[in-house]
Amino acid sequence: MLTIADVNAYYDQFHVLHDVSCEVHEGEVVVMLGPNGHGKSTLLKAVCGLLDRVDGTITYKGQDITGWSTEQLVNQGVIYIAENRELFGDMTVMENLKLGAYAKNARKKEKRNLARVFELFPRLAARKKQLAATMSGGEARMLAIARGLMSNADFLCIDEPSLGLQPNLRTEVFNIIKEIHRQGKSMLLVEQNIPQIADLADRVYVLEEGCITFQGSAEEAAADDRLKEIFLGM
Amino acid sequence: MYIEEYLDVFISGLTNGSVYALMAVGLTLVYGVSRAFNFAYGSFYSLGGYFAWVLMVYLGLSGGYLMVLLMAVPFLIGFGYVTEKVIVAPLRKRSDWEVKVMMITLGLALFLDNGYQVLFGPRMKSLPPIMTGAVELGPIYIANQDIMIFVLAISGILAFRWLLNNTRIGMAVRAVAQNPIGAKIVGIPKNRIFAATFGISTVMVGLGGILLAQKYFISPMGGWDILVKSWVITAFGGMGSIRGGLLAAFILGMLEAYVGYVFGMTWVLFALFGVLLATLAIRPQGLMGKWG
Amino acid sequence: MDWKRMSGTMALIYGVMALMPLFVGGTDHLMHILIMCLIWAVVASCWDLIMGFAGIFSFGQVAFFVIGAYASAILALTFGIHPLAAMVLAGVVAAAIGVLVALPCLRLKGAYIALVTFAVHMILEPFLKSDMGRAIGTGGSRGILTIPPMELFGITFGAGDKVAVFYAALVLAVVCSVIIMLVIRSFWGTAFLALKDSAGFAASLGVSAFKYKLAVFALTSFLTGLAGGFYGHYIGMLSTRMLGIDLFVMLMIMLVLGGIGQFPGAILGAIVTVTFNEALAPLGTYRPMVLGALVVVLVLALPDGIIGLLRNLVPGRGAAEPAVAESTAANAGGQG
Repeated sequence: MLTIADVNAYYDQFHVLHDVSCEVHEGEVVVMLGPNGHGKSTLLKAVCGLLDRVDGTITYKGQDITGWSTEQLVNQGVIYIAENRELFGDMTVMENLKLGAYAKNARKKEKRNLARVFELFPRLAARKKQLAATMSGGEARMLAIARGLMSNADFLCIDEPSLGLQPNLRTEVFNIIKEIHRQGKSMLLVEQNIPQIADLADRVYVLEEGCITFQGSAEEAAADDRLKEIFLGM
Repeated sequence: MYIEEYLDVFISGLTNGSVYALMAVGLTLVYGVSRAFNFAYGSFYSLGGYFAWVLMVYLGLSGGYLMVLLMAVPFLIGFGYVTEKVIVAPLRKRSDWEVKVMMITLGLALFLDNGYQVLFGPRMKSLPPIMTGAVELGPIYIANQDIMIFVLAISGILAFRWLLNNTRIGMAVRAVAQNPIGAKIVGIPKNRIFAATFGISTVMVGLGGILLAQKYFISPMGGWDILVKSWVITAFGGMGSIRGGLLAAFILGMLEAYVGYVFGMTWVLFALFGVLLATLAIRPQGLMGKWG
Repeated sequence: MDWKRMSGTMALIYGVMALMPLFVGGTDHLMHILIMCLIWAVVASCWDLIMGFAGIFSFGQVAFFVIGAYASAILALTFGIHPLAAMVLAGVVAAAIGVLVALPCLRLKGAYIALVTFAVHMILEPFLKSDMGRAIGTGGSRGILTIPPMELFGITFGAGDKVAVFYAALVLAVVCSVIIMLVIRSFWGTAFLALKDSAGFAASLGVSAFKYKLAVFALTSFLTGLAGGFYGHYIGMLSTRMLGIDLFVMLMIMLVLGGIGQFPGAILGAIVTVTFNEALAPLGTYRPMVLGALVVVLVLALPDGIIGLLRNLVPGRGAAEPAVAESTAANAGGQG
């Protein structure tokens, strides 16, 4: 579904990604693991048209999407869900969700998606009129994911969904992600260290210093001693 | 001063204040959303006035102000939109772009103002009153014209508020102002929003021109005064706050009317400048500033 | 631009200027244009220092010029002070007002500074014309008509001896330019660039943004006031017409042509603009309109002024860094 081939990306003047290649098949959840600051987020931003300069080729559903604007990508069903959420703080939950459906293709299905999102996140349904800035970390994270779903995307790029959440909230967020996956969405997910990957991921890549250093199934990753040491400190 | 004179001053302050509010909100909209400061704002005020003058006086178009407003709104939106696309948008990616935007719009102002002078001559033009007659309430005497100006200006502000809160484009404008990255992520075309806000603000100041030209005059350089007043109101009320802008516009409209009446018009500018400095020294974000 | 090339370019420009009277010394009109080139070179350079290098969007440069001109004229006329001393005192007056304006301004951001400084410009004309202005000797709307020329070493630097005035202006321009260059050079790579790019970063280096910015404000107002005083004594009369918007826009064209933050580009910009403006004189009433259109076209067409254009034409000198420009633009679009 998504193929990234020999991508080099730059953040300001820094060369962050070096010849990165990876792919996500239809219906898969692929987790990109790696230490902080080694380019995982940059990879997601490169896919989602949020960087100024990306070399290499990115293909989505057979189309070359390298250099496309975020706006075009959202319309094609690729959505970025930011680690720091990037919500509209002075707007209500409802307004944030409506803006999530700004893309042309999402507008027609706004009502249906809204119903689905509220089904998935009953907490948000109860807080429609609350301002986003006044929400707790966990709720804001859920709103960010919900806003992403409003775009009617088939492909979600989720940047560290567990960042800054307590263990019980983490589990809740991951359960929701699993449910979204079960409903047929494909995902490229960036994480630092999650004991839950084996449960969630179909395949795992590891990105270190801007290069892919491991790829394999979730079981292989879980069994790899070096990875365990790096990410789980075991 | 007699009580009647106070009331006259009060009504004049209220009428002018409402139009000032409309224009100040337009100015703060563009700056708040895109950080572009439009030095040609005053020239767009004159543009509205001349547009109405050409239709009503020069061409003698029938249909009155309703017709003028129906034609002016799309014309002004288009003018502002195209202006942003052609001269402001290309600068956004350059170094020192904020200063370059101020420079290019200042150049545009000089071009437009002198263009008016060439086209219409240096003599002042005036528009017929939107309504004649007056309402008498005992000793108080309010011109229908003033009432209409007030009503139209306030309707303009309310319409803008409605647009901002209830339409897709209005929400997108707020989204870009609050979080440009978030707006980009959800697929809002930022550049089109910038141009749209420029167009909307041009309508607001152009309408101001059409409304005030009935009481005062249109002249080629007349916009500078408006630019300064809109600025002072924006700074006083707080960038990005509609309520602050309204409050500031009425306070300053009253101040202007009072100072102008008691001390003469030359003092108005000094008074406004004093208010501006005092505001910035004591409360730089203005009365109700949000967007900084 | 490194300071060696900066001083080299400057020496070249002023060197060529210094030779000009050999060719056109007999033509008063041309000498007048050359003198104006030098005076405006000072003002435009000051503006570049404050805006292009210190990153303060001051729009009060013409105002300080006019303040200097009036102050010097009034000091010489009403108090009988020698014009040279009056000029220096006028610079001090301009600097003092500059500091007064800067104090509230420097707490503000971006367009707010432009707002307040431009308001000083806008308010100056009604002030000079008002009774208050008349009381201190501005002559109201009539202006000041009989400003004494400077006399030094038995030479009268007035409209009658343009070659003498020219060399005096050249000395003024060279001195001011050297001061500006030294300021840029001494802070190059440290304070100013840091101030401009990131206030937070500068603060972490221990650079007191406020102190430097105040100093720059004072210095540029002083030099601009000095140039204004010089202008007044040369021309012999002053009126508030200088505060019209077209002169302000002319100054802007100088900076756009020269390139913002491309000193000594501003000097070049001033020379080209003043000369070119004379060529536009036959346009009459259309002239301001053409000037306005020129600004629009030049800002769009010349991102870094003539200097930037030359640099791009000469290979191997390296173009501007687009990555940096991009990121500042992105930041600037952010919320405040």
